[in-house]
Amino acid sequence: MLKLENLCAGYGKLDVLWDVSIEINEGEFVAIVGPNGAGKTTTMRAISGMIKPKSGSIVFNDVNLEKKSMKDIHDLGVSFITDGGNLFPSMTVKENLYMGALSIKDKTKRDQLFEKCLGLFPRLGERLSQPAGLMSGGERKMLGIARGLMSDPKLMLVDEPSLGLAPAVVLDVFKTLKMLSRNGVIILLVEQNVNTTLKIVDRAYILEQGKIRGQGTSKELLASDYVQRTYLGIE
Amino acid sequence: MLNILLSGILRGGMYMLIALGLALVYGVMGIPNFAHGEYYLFGAYATYFALTYLGVSPVIAILIGAAVGFIFGCIIERLTFAPLRKRNTGEWVTNAFMIGAGIQLIIQNGVQYLFTANYYGVTQLFEGGIKLGGINVSYDRIVAFAIAIAALALFWLFLKKTKTGISILAVADDEVGAMLMGVDIKKIHTLTYGMSSMLAALAGGALISMTPAYPLMGTAPNLAAWFTVILVGVGNLSAVAVGGLMVGIIEVTATYFFGAQWQNVVSLGIIIIILIFKPNGLFGRKSKV
Repeated sequence: MLKLENLCAGYGKLDVLWDVSIEINEGEFVAIVGPNGAGKTTTMRAISGMIKPKSGSIVFNDVNLEKKSMKDIHDLGVSFITDGGNLFPSMTVKENLYMGALSIKDKTKRDQLFEKCLGLFPRLGERLSQPAGLMSGGERKMLGIARGLMSDPKLMLVDEPSLGLAPAVVLDVFKTLKMLSRNGVIILLVEQNVNTTLKIVDRAYILEQGKIRGQGTSKELLASDYVQRTYLGIE
Repeated sequence: MLNILLSGILRGGMYMLIALGLALVYGVMGIPNFAHGEYYLFGAYATYFALTYLGVSPVIAILIGAAVGFIFGCIIERLTFAPLRKRNTGEWVTNAFMIGAGIQLIIQNGVQYLFTANYYGVTQLFEGGIKLGGINVSYDRIVAFAIAIAALALFWLFLKKTKTGISILAVADDEVGAMLMGVDIKKIHTLTYGMSSMLAALAGGALISMTPAYPLMGTAPNLAAWFTVILVGVGNLSAVAVGGLMVGIIEVTATYFFGAQWQNVVSLGIIIIILIFKPNGLFGRKSKV
């Protein structure tokens, strides 16, 4: 279980998040939606250890993460897929994927995860020897998610997977994430694409100006006046 | 002509070693390390003392020199660049450059204080030599070149085949990406700096019979290593081998035709011309790894 309690975070003197509280249970697919600059990515960065929270707590499976290093958090089973991908451009697709399994010592398990990723993203299988830097935007996104899966994570933080992707590919990516969550992986998704997101996730939080503005199941949010007016353009 | 080529290649072998460390530290840590020549100095002094005071064999003495370079490299990184990285809010490259320049001065003056400005050298490590194409080449030169090639090959295997080596390459490619994969970035930085220092120290030790140890001995190889990495493209690891040989041959050719005092002028002149037409160096950054 992932639990954020009264999380405050930011960059230097700039505060971005105020008292953000979020709770996600095992096997749940939850999204944080909100406009640009609301603090969605900052929330993910705080969970992954990329930035240290100013106050509040982040507990994952009974372990406090606030003071842990990125490596420790990664080793606890947290995989952060950033919006830019942070791929290794001069390494091949295969090398990138195996970098994802760097902390897994068992070679058989690494190979199994590799096969599983290729099963989920067959396109990557056709590009194994291609440098990641030469791939298209959609392929990079797939590689980013596949590489994140190679560590066999318990929690996946996925930042804006729809950014720059064709609608059909977005749907494929979301379906893959849904399937993973059904297999027990906790998935926290950050998205601006509210309409598609609410159709696929179990629950969502609305983050605006660094504060949680509302939360609910997808059904509740899709039916809410506020969401319809603000995010779906329905008057 | 063959004479020039052979001397250039033998000299270039050492430049490959020194320049690889420099390119590595820049590529992985973003440090334009002006103290790089000082690790060459550590290697030379340590090898000299191991030979004369411990009485070990030349190969062991050179390995001790390399180990001393590694240890000093790790300690200096932990004392200087690591805390800077933690607190740095300004321009990293400029700040790292200033620290490097400071380390250079401290080591040069510290060594002069401890060991005076005297030369510490040995006349030869291995007796004899062979005739190559009508030219006498001492075993010392051949062994030094063989050490350079073996070290490069081993280091390349380490980078490509071990988990730690691959992590180093990953950090050079995308530091945040590597951290997201669970790479312990502090460990990789210290190790990279230590190994870069070790390569320079290995060169310093291997050349002890040709260049004795003295406080300012790091300046010339530091400059040659910079020529090499700028020539092939800063941060380009795989092209450093070619660059090292090129700089070696350019320097020997310049010395032959114009005299030793012109070798840096000619090297720099050629590099300036190349940079004007190819600003990213001869091999750009396309084949960075």
